[in-house]
Amino acid sequence: MPILFKEVSHIYSEGTPFRYSALTGINLNIKEGKITAIIGATGSGKSTLVQHLNALLLPTSGSVTVFDRVITSDEKPKNLKSLRKDIGLVFQFPEYQLFEETVLKDVEFGPKNFNIENSEEKAKQALKMVDIDASLFERSPLELSGGQKRRVAIAGILAMDPKVIVLDEPTAGLDPSGSKSMMKLFLDLNKKYNKTIIIVTHDMEQVLNYCDEVVVMSEGKIKYESEVKTFFKDSSLCKSLGILPPNVIRLKDELIEKGYKIDDDVMDIKSLVKIISRQVKK
Amino acid sequence: MSNMTFGKYIPLDSVIHKMDPRSKILAMLILIVAIFFPSGWIGYGVIGLCVFIVVLLSKLNIKIILNAMKPMMMMLIFLLFINTLVIKQGDLLFNIYGYTIYSEAIFQTLYITVRLFLMIMITTTLTATTKPLDLTLGIEDLLSPFKKIGVPSHEIAMLISIALRFIPDLIEETQRIMKAQASRGVDLKEGSFKEKIMAILSLIVPLFISALSRAEDLANAMEARGYSPGKERTRYKTLKMVFKDYVLIASSFVLLIAMIVLSRIYA
Ligand SMILES: Nc1ncnc2c1ncn2[C@@H]1O[C@H](COP(=O)(O)OP(=O)(O)OP(=O)(O)O)[C@@H](O)[C@H]1O
Ligand SMILES: [Mg+2]
Repeated sequence: MPILFKEVSHIYSEGTPFRYSALTGINLNIKEGKITAIIGATGSGKSTLVQHLNALLLPTSGSVTVFDRVITSDEKPKNLKSLRKDIGLVFQFPEYQLFEETVLKDVEFGPKNFNIENSEEKAKQALKMVDIDASLFERSPLELSGGQKRRVAIAGILAMDPKVIVLDEPTAGLDPSGSKSMMKLFLDLNKKYNKTIIIVTHDMEQVLNYCDEVVVMSEGKIKYESEVKTFFKDSSLCKSLGILPPNVIRLKDELIEKGYKIDDDVMDIKSLVKIISRQVKK
Repeated sequence: MSNMTFGKYIPLDSVIHKMDPRSKILAMLILIVAIFFPSGWIGYGVIGLCVFIVVLLSKLNIKIILNAMKPMMMMLIFLLFINTLVIKQGDLLFNIYGYTIYSEAIFQTLYITVRLFLMIMITTTLTATTKPLDLTLGIEDLLSPFKKIGVPSHEIAMLISIALRFIPDLIEETQRIMKAQASRGVDLKEGSFKEKIMAILSLIVPLFISALSRAEDLANAMEARGYSPGKERTRYKTLKMVFKDYVLIASSFVLLIAMIVLSRIYA
């Protein structure tokens, strides 16, 4: 059991008039080797939740177990550095963390901090993964476009070769094709290198197309968790949680309303077209 | 850092919160002047009592004020140490291997501590009960008579309000960047000297970049909406003094006069 939240609560600014309870009674088990999506409205506590994974935030009560390390309110795990190496956390708008003179140096920064050997090699590999051309390696990160900065920042985490990659809204503000190639990269990392991936997102299409598991948060609590397939089987579930289902699912619902017979587990456009054309021909 | 309550507005519903910012600022200035008169323990006792009543009226938790004192602790301990070295008057209290401590040194330090405590109590009450924006409106109004002699009261107020407006943002930004770099293995506590320099750079560079770009955005946004500092401006919110505001100012004045008299008696 790699990642386990047990009765985790988090209160910001405890003991001041500004105290704010951002998480309450979170119980969660994140499966190894899967892509897990965390969804929920703004302010529901998604970012707060993921910052517990590498002990940037400590739970106010309860415990988080990450591999064999236990994180509780009074205990930072002793091998904090190795925890942070194992759990690569990419923040919302990570482009704000770039600071080095050159792109390559910035990506090398992480691996060097963790004393990883041949960090330059690792950095170049990571940059290649995120589609940053070698001609940009010696440029200043500040001269890049927003999307390129984002990729460089993500490469900075990938270069650390973490076991688990946590991404907080990695595609926010990217163009559609940019987001798509980014999501493909994460899928690749999961399939080829068997990385466990946790993605915070607002995009249901991404959840349906790329993720295995889904966790729905609302007001600091977990409202629902299951496999993605089960989640979208019955769109009334989505609606009761206040989530607009992905386009394919909505299309399917309307077709069912029109009298077509479609199985629950049909969730991609190709099989949907096949079934419908068969029924239309009849 | 986010636990820092010094200088923060604390939204509560009290008489003091509803008062005109100008009267509160004036009262603060008058009281601070009053504290500078050496009016002895009786004087400070009286001021302390009055300020304490104001704090009670404002419904603030006294803990907030004690918290604001904390950062001064180191300074006061250092001051005590210096005073014991320099001041050699009064009764000899201790003599530890030639290191002598006289009563006057302790007294002087206590004196300064009390003054500092009173000042922090007064300023914290002001900032905790007055919205930053009201505070700057108040400052602008109080400075406006000096416009004739070339004091740019509006610009000063605008500068202060922008600075106040950005402090929480910058604190938040610093925390965000710290966390982002911690995720990349930055450790401000451990590591060699060179690593520490790198760690600090990794914080400061992004912070500066973001602060500069925020400033630019703000300047553009203000210009796009036709802001021009020299122009006559009307206000959405006009300040109005009522009876209790005059009471506050008058009682501060009475206190000031009492302190002057007391200090004369002592001298
Ligand atoms: N440093 C902080 N201090 C105090 N309160 C905070 C802090 N960070 C977040 N909060 C509060 O905690 C709640 C949850 O915030 P969080 O950032 O986890 O939400 P989120 O689900 O990630 O939202 P979004 O989708 O907008 O990123 C919010 O109401 C926020 O105001
Ligand atoms: Mg968030």
